[in-house]
Amino acid sequence: MSEQSVIKSKVMIDMVNKNPIEDGAVIFEDGLITLSGNYEKIKNKIRSDAKIYDYKDSVLIPGMVDCHTHHNGFGDGRSGDSVGEIEDDVLTIKSAKNAKTSLYSGVTTIRENGPKNTTMMKLRDAVNQGLAIAPRMVLCGRPIAIIGGHMGYFGGEVTGPVESLALSRQLIKEGVDYFKITATGGSTATSFPLRPSFSQKELNAVTNEAKNYGLLTATHCLSMEGIDNSLNADVDMIIHCNFDNNKGESKFNEKLAEKIAKKGAYVNPTLHVGRARLWSLTMGESPSLGGGENKRFSSSISGDRKDILEARLDAAKLGLETKLDHCRQMIDMGLKVITGSDSSWGDYALGNTFHETELLVESGYSNYQGLESVTINAAMALGLGDTVGSIEKGKSADFAILKNNPLDDIKNLSTVEEVFLMGQHIDRGSDESNKTYSQIKPAQF
Amino acid sequence: MANESNQLLVIKAGQVIDGKSKNVKKDISIVINDNQIVDVKPSGELDIPENLNYKLLDYSDKTVLPGLVDSHVHLTGIGDGRTGDELVTLPDEILSINMANNARIHLQSGVTTVRDCGAKNNTAFHLREAAEMEIAETPRLVLSGRPLAIIGGHLGYFGEEITGEDQCRAAVRYLVKQGADFIKVTATGGSTATSHPLRPSFSQQELNVIAEEAHKFGKHVAAHCASSEAMIRVLNAGIDTIIHGTFKEVDGTNKYREDIAELIAEKGAYVNPTIGAASLKIKTMESKKANDNFTEQDQEELDFIKTEQEHRLECFNKLINLGVPMSAGSDSAWGEYKMGNYFEEIEAHVQGGQSPVEAIMSATDIAAQSCWIDDSLGSIETGKLADILIVSEDPSKQIENLRTVVDVIKDGQLIDRRSLL
Repeated sequence: MSEQSVIKSKVMIDMVNKNPIEDGAVIFEDGLITLSGNYEKIKNKIRSDAKIYDYKDSVLIPGMVDCHTHHNGFGDGRSGDSVGEIEDDVLTIKSAKNAKTSLYSGVTTIRENGPKNTTMMKLRDAVNQGLAIAPRMVLCGRPIAIIGGHMGYFGGEVTGPVESLALSRQLIKEGVDYFKITATGGSTATSFPLRPSFSQKELNAVTNEAKNYGLLTATHCLSMEGIDNSLNADVDMIIHCNFDNNKGESKFNEKLAEKIAKKGAYVNPTLHVGRARLWSLTMGESPSLGGGENKRFSSSISGDRKDILEARLDAAKLGLETKLDHCRQMIDMGLKVITGSDSSWGDYALGNTFHETELLVESGYSNYQGLESVTINAAMALGLGDTVGSIEKGKSADFAILKNNPLDDIKNLSTVEEVFLMGQHIDRGSDESNKTYSQIKPAQF
Repeated sequence: MANESNQLLVIKAGQVIDGKSKNVKKDISIVINDNQIVDVKPSGELDIPENLNYKLLDYSDKTVLPGLVDSHVHLTGIGDGRTGDELVTLPDEILSINMANNARIHLQSGVTTVRDCGAKNNTAFHLREAAEMEIAETPRLVLSGRPLAIIGGHLGYFGEEITGEDQCRAAVRYLVKQGADFIKVTATGGSTATSHPLRPSFSQQELNVIAEEAHKFGKHVAAHCASSEAMIRVLNAGIDTIIHGTFKEVDGTNKYREDIAELIAEKGAYVNPTIGAASLKIKTMESKKANDNFTEQDQEELDFIKTEQEHRLECFNKLINLGVPMSAGSDSAWGEYKMGNYFEEIEAHVQGGQSPVEAIMSATDIAAQSCWIDDSLGSIETGKLADILIVSEDPSKQIENLRTVVDVIKDGQLIDRRSLL
């Protein structure tokens, strides 16, 4: 008989019952949950030789699910273009470290949204060989981009439906879990964020192949035409989802939002990456242009360094306000908005996923809905709704133990004390080392 | 004394083994400014101006030593018994992850400097890049990059198989261009399947060129020698460190060669004996014998290893009596020898006849000398970089006490020994 383990808590939020369960407990074996509920009600199923983890003062939640990470990234303000110049070996070392950071912060499932070449596939191999530890990883291999398109520097530039199909098949051969496509330009210096990148036919070639193999797709969309093309191609998740036209005017478009709703696509609005930029700018950090390195973004900015900084600050503030407003409208319309941090892109370092959820709550979610967006709903968005995202029988024993209750304040998601992945209690190392990656809100905010 | 008062650190030591002296000194204070030792004196004589701010680390009931220098590691190794031939089938990216993990583990165990004696392709240099970008926490790295090997020779699978004087010269130049701190050459075969451990590999002329070219750039050379004949060539070429230095004839018989030993002493070469792996293996097998069912084959293997080790320890003893400087280096994580266990090698030095303090000197100042970094590392003295190890029990009485590590300081900074990042 396999070993039985039990976690006892003060409160369990299982993401099945709307109400938290006092004295909640979960029993698991072989990495899977066998029973959960109030301790008194389930204790007769606990074997005498069970391993008991007694967290009687803490809150038990499912391990968090982050739908959007960049494990190659640094989160120190450097641009994607400069990340793309780093050797694969070095990026893999960074990815391994980032994987630990995310896991130790309570995130037990990540969907990686674009690394260089095969670095993340190599990290997965290292994990499988016991040479690295990481959350459950949903991988795209590398993003599919047009020539000069966003993240093309990561190694996936293609042209035409045939090449798009060929790369899709190549990625499947390499063992990817989903396709990430950059449907508009982005911060990449040679790309055009306000223009769609792929033609409809090219997009369809990728999404058709995805359907053929039962894979999901997600597209990076910094402007509306890219969103529309993506929806026409039946893309499953719209990332960023900026309501910008090709002149750069950003105005919420209800019709397009309705189309997203009708198609049933998930939306990953990536709010905090903009706020992280704002924080860095405010603290006078991040002197590099980061996302603004794109000449077309920064061409209107001239003058000395201080003016440039001010202009960037204003742009970042306005951008964030607009995004929060649009996100609020999408939430009001009932769109499936989930947590995907986009860390470690730009100034947003991995290990701080809760900041994104915090902004979704600021955009209108209740604390409970915020929690759903980073657990069960995020799991469903990744096609893992039967595996992770809630504490119920048959699901993976992935848990985060929190000091404080996120239903009182969503920021309490950052008070992680213990993490379990597939039934394994994760050794997170010293508390000091777990403070090194947390990004703190500057005093002025 | 120091200018920047906020960066001043004072270590109060119950006793100090400074790496250079055989005497253990009681009640010593070490003053560190930023990353440098600026004063070492009896605690009673310590005179810090009252208005000066400093941080005090009180180890007055502990022993303080230089951070350990491991003059022979393979950060690329996994230490789970797999062969080098198997190891290199892993892609560079996975080896890189492993190297970063190993580097952290070794540092946290008390080793503040390593000389890496060979990794695949550019992985060693990429680890250095990662360390410089602060995404990997490592000991100070003295790197060879890829070892020089003949075609089919030992470690040739790491990517530097060369033939003839010109290729030898080119390989040295290219490695130096990539940032190599020294040149590792395999002068005999080894565990590599296609190599011949009892035969010399490179010719005298090739070795001469390698040494000449490396020395031209101020880089030293360390040569893997698994049998006797190659040692003569290596010494005549002026190579600086003999690795393994196994006294074995071409027919495989163990034979101490007085002529070669004297040549080593005469040339002033360092020897890195790598005797810990076998004593670790013997320990493992004996504990297996005590607990599990031990097959006849196991017994044969154990007997063989014991005989070999006896010979190697005898040779070690003869070399130290000749005054040959023994540079400790674990050779981990090669074979079954995992990182973080340098102690095993240092303890084997004591088995070979060194006193505990002499063994510690082998693993600090002597190792630093053999790595050509003793001007700044390997001992606790004014002017040296602040790499320091603190242990709770006295290793001068019993070398196993070196394992009682309390704190590790590298470059003036306390290492978080419990970080898993």
